[in-house]
Amino acid sequence: MTPDIAGSHPLALWPAAASRSATEVDHLILAFTGITLVLTVPIFLAITYFALRYRAGRNTVRRHTEGRDVKIELSWMLIPFALTLGFFLWGAIIFNTELHPPGDSMEIQAIGRQWMWKFEHPGGQAEINDLHVPAGQNIMINMISQDVIHSLYLPALRIQMETLPNRYTQVWFKADRPGTYRLYCSEYCGTDHSKMDGNLTIMSPGDFANWLTEAGSTQSLAAIGARLYAAYGCGGCHNDNARVAPSLAGIYGSEIKLADGTTTIADDTFLRNKILNPDTQKIAGTKQVMPSFHGILKEDDLTHIVAYIRTLQEPTQ
Amino acid sequence: MSPSDAVMRDPGTARPTIDRPADYLHEEHTLRSWFFSTDHKRIGLLYLASITFFFVLGAIAACLVRLALIVPDGTIFSSDTYNKLFTMHGVIMIWFFLIPSIPATFGNFLLPLMIGAKDVAFPHLNLASFYIFITGALFTLITLVIGGVDTGWTFYAPFSTTFSNTYVIPALIGVIIVGFSSILTGLNFVVTIHKMRCPGMTWFRMPIFVWTLYATSLIFLLATPVITIALILLVMERAFGIGVFDPRLGGDPVLFEHLFWFYSHPAVYIMVLPGMGVITELVAAFSQKKVFGYRFVAYASIALASVTFLVWGHHMFVNGESQLAATVYSLLSFAVAVPSAVKVYNWTATIHKGSIHLDTPMLYAMGYIGLFVLGGLTGLFLATLAIDAHLHDTYFVVAHFHYIMVGGTMLAFLGGLHYWWPKFTGRMYPEAFGRVGAGLIFIGFNVTFFPQFILGYLGMPRRYHVYPPEFQLLNIMSSAGATILAAGYFFPMVYLIWSLWYGKKAPANPWNAKGLEWTTSSPPPTHNFLNTPLVDFEPYGYENKAPEIG
Amino acid sequence: MAEAVLVGIERAEHFESIDQQREAASLGMWAWLLTELLLFSGLFLIALILRIQHPAAVTLATTHLKFWIGAANTAVLICSSFTMSGAIGLSRLGWQRGMVGCMLATATLGTLFLGLKGFEYYQDYAEHMMRFLGQPYALAADQATRLFIDVYFITTALHGLHLITGVSILLVLTVMAGRPNFLAQHQNRIEIYGLYWHFIDLIWIIVFPVLYVLNR
Repeated sequence: MTPDIAGSHPLALWPAAASRSATEVDHLILAFTGITLVLTVPIFLAITYFALRYRAGRNTVRRHTEGRDVKIELSWMLIPFALTLGFFLWGAIIFNTELHPPGDSMEIQAIGRQWMWKFEHPGGQAEINDLHVPAGQNIMINMISQDVIHSLYLPALRIQMETLPNRYTQVWFKADRPGTYRLYCSEYCGTDHSKMDGNLTIMSPGDFANWLTEAGSTQSLAAIGARLYAAYGCGGCHNDNARVAPSLAGIYGSEIKLADGTTTIADDTFLRNKILNPDTQKIAGTKQVMPSFHGILKEDDLTHIVAYIRTLQEPTQ
Repeated sequence: MSPSDAVMRDPGTARPTIDRPADYLHEEHTLRSWFFSTDHKRIGLLYLASITFFFVLGAIAACLVRLALIVPDGTIFSSDTYNKLFTMHGVIMIWFFLIPSIPATFGNFLLPLMIGAKDVAFPHLNLASFYIFITGALFTLITLVIGGVDTGWTFYAPFSTTFSNTYVIPALIGVIIVGFSSILTGLNFVVTIHKMRCPGMTWFRMPIFVWTLYATSLIFLLATPVITIALILLVMERAFGIGVFDPRLGGDPVLFEHLFWFYSHPAVYIMVLPGMGVITELVAAFSQKKVFGYRFVAYASIALASVTFLVWGHHMFVNGESQLAATVYSLLSFAVAVPSAVKVYNWTATIHKGSIHLDTPMLYAMGYIGLFVLGGLTGLFLATLAIDAHLHDTYFVVAHFHYIMVGGTMLAFLGGLHYWWPKFTGRMYPEAFGRVGAGLIFIGFNVTFFPQFILGYLGMPRRYHVYPPEFQLLNIMSSAGATILAAGYFFPMVYLIWSLWYGKKAPANPWNAKGLEWTTSSPPPTHNFLNTPLVDFEPYGYENKAPEIG
Repeated sequence: MAEAVLVGIERAEHFESIDQQREAASLGMWAWLLTELLLFSGLFLIALILRIQHPAAVTLATTHLKFWIGAANTAVLICSSFTMSGAIGLSRLGWQRGMVGCMLATATLGTLFLGLKGFEYYQDYAEHMMRFLGQPYALAADQATRLFIDVYFITTALHGLHLITGVSILLVLTVMAGRPNFLAQHQNRIEIYGLYWHFIDLIWIIVFPVLYVLNR
């Protein structure tokens, strides 16, 4: 019943590529390998050849002229460097794309902890260690660690990103080859670090829609967050009429003026930090009375509440 | 007949004695004269014995790791045991073998000889460095015996500070203490090279090995204090909850990564530079030709020691580092490859039109050039941002650094050990066995580590006890190679020790090499030179003869 | 009236000349001090990072540091550097008794620093600032404040450790320096030790502003 992992034949020397970006990375490394061989095979051949041709005792011409050394030195310093710089640039360009998720990405929340992954789809479907995603769509994984540093590694997509315990990190991709692939934790995190793996299943959009229904969930992440928001009485201070605390309507992504004069953007990390450590990053013009929810809210709860806050729109006049 | 022959060592055969000063090996035999010696040569041998002991421990850990990886389901050891094994392998090999290997053994023994001095600048400090090393080593041994540590040699927070249930603090204390040994050795070498060169020994008449020791010593001095404070802070956090790195206490684990890698990247150049110096000496001696581009090679050593301080962020491309920082670190990492390339090309040009002797040290040197180039270029792959996003923390990285550390530094160490063995001991090693050993190590090494490049690209993460079954074939191949490699290491250990009693007596200069160390007897007298040398010749003066026409 | 003593260094066997020995010793000590500076730099870096990232919290923390004890200690150490310089100068002149007096004065001032520091730690303890000893923490619950206080303790403790080491070596050196013929054979030791003492002072001169003064 174990799924057939694409490219997992014991004699496979190359991993499956599940996205165009992955294929581009493959091209990059193959081309770089090519240049590398061009720069190094002559050296190996040369030293072998010289060792034999100029073996002590052999009758051969050893006289050589001096004086062009500096030109030779400079050329073999600069020419290979210049050649390899092309690869630096190519890699930097691909990396640049990898670091900027498109705005229309479907966002999946992930929490890494010793020793499992929890993925949550926007509609509330949760998965442990396995991740189902649709092909042909931009997917962004917003993730955090609950304890130590982990790292989400998706080799078929040629990407990975660490999860940190104090702030969110992101990784995004657009897969186009349906199939089942491996998913790992690649940052050593203790006893069962090597058992924190799972399956990444890329499905056609139709299959994915079916899966979502079958996976079943009663409510979206934001809806769960709304329940928590009510249960912990956040509205008591943060509702529009309360005037005790800043309203949260439209706060996500807005610029916040802090008491020390600096400004910051209210992103996931900021909101999470204010819930856990309200005494930090004090907001300008308000008196700080919010209690800390440190030890009260779990990491999942924080993800859900932040998801809910993101849905709160500015009231239309 | 060399002065070493003059000492009566074998009263049974009633050989006649000649009244000459004894060499440093035979002058005094008491334990006290060895363990309290301030003679740089004896201290070098004390280090040699100690690092060999730790090498064996680290190698046993490696063999057990490779044994465990024969099966994909982790049935041979528990995960906790496996994690402790790879941690101890890393900690021991890096701090108690590779970092001291060439500087503390060859450096201590040869530096004063190569510059015409009687000893290093601070001989008592030198002995103190050795005992500080032993103290740190004892803490590590104690950690091993009471149960080990499982954080990986990188000690990342918050796992090391808050979550690991193993003996992290004694392990950290061992590393902190041994760091002081490095600092003091580096200090000693820097002052020795600046102040104790004999008359006529200008900077550009020094052997390249001395240049690389100087560059390495600069790194010892400037990088080691940073790891010292980083690890002290880890101890503070684990013991007292002073949370500079724990986010639950307001700290930042990425700060630890910065402090750690600021030292640990230059540290890998501590492990690489002296090896390059040894290879330069070997290539020149066994090509009987002066080093091509001597000044470029000398400057390249200093360039490596400088630029190495600017690239540490390439270990952190995927930990949320900013794009700008990552791009800059990537570019600088490409730049740091240039001085290494300069050396490789210069070695090749030195061999060209030389008079090549394919003795064991030269075989090691040639193996080094091949393997170091491969290791270095795979480093460039890892420095490429988009490639690192795939290969970070996989077996590709493991293969990369083992190509440099073993294929590079270890081969340089063994090549130098064979080359200078006659000078250290007064004996020749058996040449045929030397070649067999070199061959076994070269083959065993490649069978062990080349498959790991493929495993890494296929996506096998590092530090994995359990792995997907499709990786088993390559893992078995790698473990098989490890047995060949182990046999290869065992070989020299046996025949080198054998040669101490049964090896042919060595002349002062068995290789017809240039360099002041070869003007002394084998072994050298205690005070190195009967008269202070006066240098009025260029280094590597092999070509002071009419060119041959064939 | 002081007795004039011959001032010099006994050449160690492995050095070719006394100049070489002096220069080597000096370069060696400067190299050591550079490594010590790098050691403390990690801590200064963290203190400055905290200041930049959490300015309000750090300002709050500094109000609980005992500024006047710190200032007094700064003055004490600067005076001790003067007395140490005096010792060096007198050693060059060969005035052994005066030199020993200056060295004792330096050690006394160093010990005074340690005493004041100990009193300061006692006050910190009484104010419930020593979270790591398990006491209930009295300052704001803000993590950055706690972190900064902890960095203050680690930095001053590390400096204090260097000072204890320095005073101990100084006392041993003073005993040796009081013996006849010391200045004829080992004058250099006073100079080299003086470098180390000035460095301990220098570190404190950086610690005091970074921890006590900025943002106050």
